Amino acid sequence: MMNDWIKITIDGHETMVRQDTTILKAATDLGIEIPTLCHHPVLEPYGACRLCTVEVLQKGRSRLVTSCNYPIRNEIEVQTASEQVLRGRKMIIELLWARCPEARVLETLARSYGITKPRFEPREGELCYLCGLCVRMCNEIVGAKAISLIQRGVEREVGTPFYQFSEACIACGACEFICPTGAIKVTDVTDKEPRPLLLDFDMGLRGRGNIYIPFPQAVPNVPVIDREHCLHFQADACGVCQAVCPPGAIDYEQEDEFVDVEVGAVIVATGFDPFDATHKPEFGYGRYPNVISGLEFERLASASGPTQGKIRINGSEPKEIVFVHCVGSRDKLEGAEYCSRICCMYTAKQAHLAHDKIEGAKITVFYMDVRAFGKGFEEFYDRVRAEGITYRRGNPSEIYKRADKLIVRAEDTLLGRTVEVPADLVVLATGVQPREDSAQVATMLGLEMSEDGFFAEAHPELRPVDTQRQGVYLAGTCQSPKDIPDTVAQAKAAAARAIVELSRVKRELQTTAKQGEGRG
Amino acid sequence: MNQERISSPEGLALLRQQLQSRRTADKPCITVCSGTGCQAYGCQAVTAAFREELEKRDLSDQVDILTTGCHGFCERGPVVVLQPQGIFYERMKLKDVAEVVEETIAKGEVIDRLLYQDPRTGEKIVHERDVPFYKLQQREILSMNGMIDPTSIEDYIAVDGYSALVKALHEMTPDEIVDAIKQSGLRGRGGAGFPTGRKWEGCRRAEGEIKYVICNADEGDPGAYMDRSVMEGNPHSVIEGMIIAAYAIGGHRRHGLEGYIYVRNEYPLAVKNAGLALETARSYGLLGEDIAGSGFNFDIQIRRGGGAFVCGESSALMQSLQGNVGEPQAKYVRSVEKGLWNQPTTLNNVETLANVPLIIRRGWEWYAGIGTEGSKGTKIFSLVGKINNTGLVEVPMGVTLREIIFDIGGGIPDSKEFKAVQTGGPSGGCLPENMLDLPVDFDELAKVGSMMGSGGMIVMDEGTCMVDIARYFLDFLKEESCGKCVPCREGIARSLEILNRICQGKGRPEDIDLLEELSETVQGFSLCALGQTAPNPVLSTLKYFRHEYEAHIFEERCPAGVCKALIEYWIDPELCTGCGACTRVCPQEAITGEKKTPHTVTRSECIKCGACYDVCRFEAITIRSAGVKAAPAVEAVEAP
Repeated sequence: MMNDWIKITIDGHETMVRQDTTILKAATDLGIEIPTLCHHPVLEPYGACRLCTVEVLQKGRSRLVTSCNYPIRNEIEVQTASEQVLRGRKMIIELLWARCPEARVLETLARSYGITKPRFEPREGELCYLCGLCVRMCNEIVGAKAISLIQRGVEREVGTPFYQFSEACIACGACEFICPTGAIKVTDVTDKEPRPLLLDFDMGLRGRGNIYIPFPQAVPNVPVIDREHCLHFQADACGVCQAVCPPGAIDYEQEDEFVDVEVGAVIVATGFDPFDATHKPEFGYGRYPNVISGLEFERLASASGPTQGKIRINGSEPKEIVFVHCVGSRDKLEGAEYCSRICCMYTAKQAHLAHDKIEGAKITVFYMDVRAFGKGFEEFYDRVRAEGITYRRGNPSEIYKRADKLIVRAEDTLLGRTVEVPADLVVLATGVQPREDSAQVATMLGLEMSEDGFFAEAHPELRPVDTQRQGVYLAGTCQSPKDIPDTVAQAKAAAARAIVELSRVKRELQTTAKQGEGRG
Repeated sequence: MNQERISSPEGLALLRQQLQSRRTADKPCITVCSGTGCQAYGCQAVTAAFREELEKRDLSDQVDILTTGCHGFCERGPVVVLQPQGIFYERMKLKDVAEVVEETIAKGEVIDRLLYQDPRTGEKIVHERDVPFYKLQQREILSMNGMIDPTSIEDYIAVDGYSALVKALHEMTPDEIVDAIKQSGLRGRGGAGFPTGRKWEGCRRAEGEIKYVICNADEGDPGAYMDRSVMEGNPHSVIEGMIIAAYAIGGHRRHGLEGYIYVRNEYPLAVKNAGLALETARSYGLLGEDIAGSGFNFDIQIRRGGGAFVCGESSALMQSLQGNVGEPQAKYVRSVEKGLWNQPTTLNNVETLANVPLIIRRGWEWYAGIGTEGSKGTKIFSLVGKINNTGLVEVPMGVTLREIIFDIGGGIPDSKEFKAVQTGGPSGGCLPENMLDLPVDFDELAKVGSMMGSGGMIVMDEGTCMVDIARYFLDFLKEESCGKCVPCREGIARSLEILNRICQGKGRPEDIDLLEELSETVQGFSLCALGQTAPNPVLSTLKYFRHEYEAHIFEERCPAGVCKALIEYWIDPELCTGCGACTRVCPQEAITGEKKTPHTVTRSECIKCGACYDVCRFEAITIRSAGVKAAPAVEAVEAP
């Protein structure tokens, strides 16, 4: 019985469905849209908003049923937009809109049904139309059962027992996430600190889900699950991603694996770590939210970044910006005597961007020297200064807060006196550091390391991409700080070097084989 | 009490014989109604006084005292019936007790003062059976209430109690029972009127690990107390019905069976009596393991409801039983297939279940002979409102409203005119005078826009404003709507908003259309029967009393003189004698005037409480439309 196919007609379209398919599902599969506010594919049908009500004709009898939870068991004819259905649906929308006049989703729905203004007194400030999605999410998916629908009739609301902060709430934020109108906040439910998960790629300036694509050009460009925080892995609950993924691509069983590859050459391109500016406590990084690193500024200024390219600090636009050069570069105290080679130019670019994006911005750059050595670099530096950006020679000694401004204190070595520059935003031009695990990699591959902690090349002039070990080559910042053009050039050299080596070995092998044949 | 378990039909018959033989037919017995109505009148004190009086006169051994469940004639409580003669005394006071023992018990003299007087003929009536209120009823279920002490299973067994159960278990197959109930034509008394036999049949056929039988005793209609009286006065009849139901849906099968009585906690006596009944039934072997030696096992537990009206709705009740918020669920898959805990469930109302033993004992043919084509048997109504004989009335299906209201109910008090009767509880419809000859059954009431409901019947007289009445019921429903579905939650509240403004004289010309439009949606789109029937009070009053709405909206006038915003009190100087009675009762000191000269009402002070109107002996105070300069009397005259 359970697997019987049943013939039904929806709005004149005939289709076959399995027994107990809901009308809503059958209609959706046919491409017929039925409005609903309380239905969600991962939650149990609820039947509360009544918007999905349709007319069912069976054996000459017509009745109104909710399509979200009506299981098809007989040959029926469905009309999803009969006159009676539309009349009731419009009234329901009107009633809901009057309840929540500020809910955008209702306004859009109302307008699409030709309602311009509800005929009932609007209830100001109400955003919750009691679809129950949050409650069902919490109960059915999260399993925390922290919130429920309490009270009766129009007094009904989403709440916790006795209006107390919930002990059961795990501050996961699923309620807030699924709420279509922003009516519920985790902070209404619990006083537990919600721990938003932050997207590494955006320097933690943007949150992410437990399942997420690490960054837009990630390879492979597919979502990953954060097992540490995933409810499915942690509490054997949820499973929403698997339920909603149409091709069924979510595999909870997948594990990391070790792959052995036999190769003839290895190119080491392990990159660098950005300098951790908290090592310079005098700059207040990590203490003041408006002291940020160069990489963070990069994400703020990026059109695909957390602010869509708008430079905003705590929601407002900084007017006075100070850039500080050489943070973690040319710094004996930090064990980084070297020049990071990228900071001068990226700072110039960022100062230019800030000037471009923020009208009337007052921008100051503190520098030791400006090393604009590449092609066209000096010209760019000149252009940036010409834009009105102030370059002051001097290394700030301290950044502190006065009233709601940051004060950057430095000695202007050209003027020979101490200056204090107020700022809404300070960007630290953080430098390049060897990767934390470079010693481990070096041991594994049998590489040597220079004094500065980067991998050592075989010979700085004659064999710049080779290492002491045959068949292992270096490319990019693992060898020393460098910018993108230099990195690309070195990478190509390393590749070429590897090819040379591989063909040499191949040729040798072929010769050996031929000799062997001759002998045989 | 530790007695023998009944292990065979013969065992029960023997016990009955013993119990009956202990009673001598002519032994005097003072029957004191101890239903909730009479308790409110102080019947417990009366009972105690009788006990004391009998003891004082050393008559305790010679006279029995029986405290029974509700007799139904609550208007006249505390009600006392003296057996064996059946002498009916009404409104017994403590001070009457000694006299009753002295005169009636000892000497057999009837005390004229305590007799019921027929308000229409003025005749004093001696015997209970001759009281028109009782005489015109057919009390199949309620009659037992007056004969037994609800706390005594022996009383119930003595009047043939549990014989239907024993017959069912020992002589009938479950299919035969289902068939008998189907043939009897019994329909659910909770309101929907679904054929009980078909429900049982569906549940019998359904597959499940366990099947449930639920008795719905969550009666919540304001003013209705039929189920309460049965549960309080004769709980064993309901339990017997439940066991028969359980056997019918689950007998001879290997799955489990469980029973629940869901009763509201506001019915403490019902909870207590049902609990006691379950206990005694168990100790007699009539409940639990191997019931009456038949090998059939079934037990019942009591679950107390928290008093939400919506929990009387079957799917909400089951949610509540499961420990969830009492919210109705979709019923596209019926509860006989997937009900409580998703298992096959039969849910019947108290009165429905109480009918079952009667049908089994006396045969479906007898039952099917009572009533109308589509509605069989008797129905209990609770007759309340502007009616002389407030109380519970059991009549065969098909009697007319007129018979119930005027013949049994004794008509409208204070020689007022009848205006409307609302049947079916808060979401029933209000029917006008020209519908009084309507035969009362499930189908006829539905046809005219009302419903049987669970049997509430509220009578209204000419002093009732129909807009105000619709407003009153919607106010109740607004409070009791669970709030899950939009049309019911928002629609009722908005309808009420409109009704409120109409009653305040701020109705808009488009309001009637808007009310009708709203009602259509609430009726058609709501999730459960609460919402689907909620517009009935509005729609039926709009249908039969539309002119009253129009008077409020277009003339700013309340024809019944009820809506305070639309009326004012006015003292006719021609009739006022200046006696000052009104000034003394006015809480606002709004009436002024020299002694013996016509008084006047200061409108700005008057809160329209109507106190002056009630005390004026000269009919000098009239209610007229507010703002009217002259004094055209309003149609009706009763104070709010």
